[in-house]
Amino acid sequence: MDLAKYRALFLEEATEHLAEMSRACLALEKDPASGDSIDLVFRLAHSIKGMAAALEYDAVTRLAHRLEDRMAVWRAQGRVDVPEGLALLFRGLEGLERTIGAVRSTGVCPEPDEGLIAALAAPPDGDGGKKA
Amino acid sequence: MKRVLIADDASFMRQMIRDIIEPEGYEVVGEAADGVDVVEKFRRLHPDVVMMDIVMPKRSGIDAVKAIKAADAGACVVMCSALGQESLVIEAMQAGARDFIVKPFKPDAVLATLAKVVEKAE
Repeated sequence: MDLAKYRALFLEEATEHLAEMSRACLALEKDPASGDSIDLVFRLAHSIKGMAAALEYDAVTRLAHRLEDRMAVWRAQGRVDVPEGLALLFRGLEGLERTIGAVRSTGVCPEPDEGLIAALAAPPDGDGGKKA
Repeated sequence: MKRVLIADDASFMRQMIRDIIEPEGYEVVGEAADGVDVVEKFRRLHPDVVMMDIVMPKRSGIDAVKAIKAADAGACVVMCSALGQESLVIEAMQAGARDFIVKPFKPDAVLATLAKVVEKAE
């Protein structure tokens, strides 16, 4: 596999995804029950996860996977909890931006942010993030 | 030469599949970035195989499989899934998908699955 080619493709596409995700998060700030925005963040996180996994960027893969799972919980619930869930969502977005930014600036994937990954982990009792 | 249509909203993934299958003699006749586009391109291009992501914008991969099978009951569709999507894979197979591959793609597994579905289709 031509890693340099795929790294460049990843950074280009992930950057676009993060910009789109940021707009969707802002939309959810205004309307936490926006199904379209919840679906969009879910799909973008899924897409980033797939690309990162192909490049073995573990920190990005795990963070995106947890965010995807968390979006699935909120999708089932019909809304993002306010303010706890929304704050968690923005932390997830910032974590992805930070981690992917580190890949861009250093060429390697940093260590996973275990605290954030644990916080995003879908709650077993389906509380939508209130305890995260 | 078998003709393949690739559908994934990430150009990264489409490129990766293309890079795996083209050197092995498959012809990529088209790419689609969403679930509406793939159905339209299937109808227009008549590929031998469709390799399609389960999670796509505008129309899910599962809905797209149903539409493709409605257009051509003999259509050969391989789903591209990720770990943790087992229930969606089962749903896609029930909708008529022939087989599936799991991301991150392993070239040998992609080629083996493609060869298997092509052989069965002949």
